[in-house]
Amino acid sequence: MKKMLQVTLCILTAIGGFVDIGDLVANGETGARFKLGLAWAVIVGVVGIIVYAEMAGRVAAVSGRPVFSLVRERLGPGFGLANLLASSFINFLTLTAEIAGVAIALSMAASVSYIVMVPLAAVVIWVVIWRLPFERMEQLFGLLGLALLAFVVALVKLGPDWGHLFSQAAHPAVPKEETPFTYAYFAIALFGAAMTPYEVFFFSSGAVEEHWTVKDLALNRANVYIGFPLGAFLSLSIMALTTLVFAPRSISVDALPQVALPVAFAAGKVALACLIVGIFAATFGAALETALSTGYCIGQYLGWEWGKHVRPREASRFYLVVTVAVLLGALAVMTGVDPVKVTEYSIVLSAAALPLTYFPILVVSNDRDYMGDKTNGPVLNFLATVYLVIIVLVAVATIPLMIITKGGA
Amino acid sequence: MSAGRTLWAGLRLLDRQLVDRNGRMAGCVDDLELATTEDGQHLYVSAILSGPGALAQRLRRRRYGSWMRGVHALVSPGEGDPTRIAFNLVSDIGDHITVAADHEELGSASAERWVRDHVIAHIPGSGHAPE
Repeated sequence: MKKMLQVTLCILTAIGGFVDIGDLVANGETGARFKLGLAWAVIVGVVGIIVYAEMAGRVAAVSGRPVFSLVRERLGPGFGLANLLASSFINFLTLTAEIAGVAIALSMAASVSYIVMVPLAAVVIWVVIWRLPFERMEQLFGLLGLALLAFVVALVKLGPDWGHLFSQAAHPAVPKEETPFTYAYFAIALFGAAMTPYEVFFFSSGAVEEHWTVKDLALNRANVYIGFPLGAFLSLSIMALTTLVFAPRSISVDALPQVALPVAFAAGKVALACLIVGIFAATFGAALETALSTGYCIGQYLGWEWGKHVRPREASRFYLVVTVAVLLGALAVMTGVDPVKVTEYSIVLSAAALPLTYFPILVVSNDRDYMGDKTNGPVLNFLATVYLVIIVLVAVATIPLMIITKGGA
Repeated sequence: MSAGRTLWAGLRLLDRQLVDRNGRMAGCVDDLELATTEDGQHLYVSAILSGPGALAQRLRRRRYGSWMRGVHALVSPGEGDPTRIAFNLVSDIGDHITVAADHEELGSASAERWVRDHVIAHIPGSGHAPE
């Protein structure tokens, strides 16, 4: 049972990191616009995050070093600082989107405007960070997040022609009403949503918080190989649902509650209630992860005491940064910015900042000084290098595509 | 540092994590202070500099760096430069640098103590154990 509960780190990483507001929106939106023609981008993204999260977790377990500490040591203070600024900005955008997501989930249950729910959401997020131990936090939100399986139930209840869905996913094509540029832009959005850097910041820092050692390498693999595929499975279910329900009616997804409609339509009220719990847990988990990641990155870059395993008094600057991030995030949501737009920009900009984070992980996981005999094998290095090339190409293409398509319009 | 022990200081020291004698994290090696031996023949590392001011100066933001060092000195009650850790305090050099001193006496953690005493300690629950 204890071993079972330990896998919750990755269920939280999977639910809160993989399936967060970014994936809910991006998968819902692409399903409605491109049907399953972009399902391959989710698969490419999930294999990438599995490869790099496993390395980051292994480095953290063997050397006790989290990702951002390595970023600074390997890239030097200048590039490290550039990465810190970019990552903090993206963490903050994502945190803002997730706080909005929590407030939207609450408002779906309470039938009031989500803006009213923002202060409540922010206070609860802060209290959980301040008081709840790390393991309790991940168990609670990891397990509650499993309520997202309501997406799968709804998909099965719709009784689709599975063969047709698979052939659609296997023969990707640009729909008539879309251009190759918007197609590429949304492929990058899905890839960015799958490989968001905060996932590895959080996963590796979480491994240090839980005092992983070489003995926990099997646990690391179990977490990565179970958690992320589960996240990808949920993502593809969302995409398939909006493909079946929205695409034939030419309905586009431009608000989070719309993603829940196919579930209410196909599986009824109980499934919808479950789904709201799941969306709440996923966005709440991701809000915790991004808020903590802001503190992890800055604290590790500057060498502060950091983490939830120490008391707030003993890591005062870390807790100050996290507190300020939650406060500013909540204020940003209350200005009334469109949460879906914030989400889209956060995942697309993530894609542009990926190389600076993933490159040092690859370098250190091959360094015998840190890793002893636990360095990468040749197959893994080949795969990781291929992904590094993809990541660099994606990073170069992102900003021009964003301008050409006017943000995917 | 023992005689004859030559390190490629830039690679083995710079940007490493500083840890106090009890294993608490106490800043990064942001820069190094070099001095020459009495005969003028050799350079050696005389101190570790740790603090955002020293880092900014290393990144060629000199004016911002000296301003940051001024702020750092303001929140550090003791005398002398709070960013400077004499190299004879270093007890171990590995993937992190261990300093034979306590977190509470290191200038590199004075901002940590300032935030603790002026902000965090005033919030209820700040001293409770997380588990």
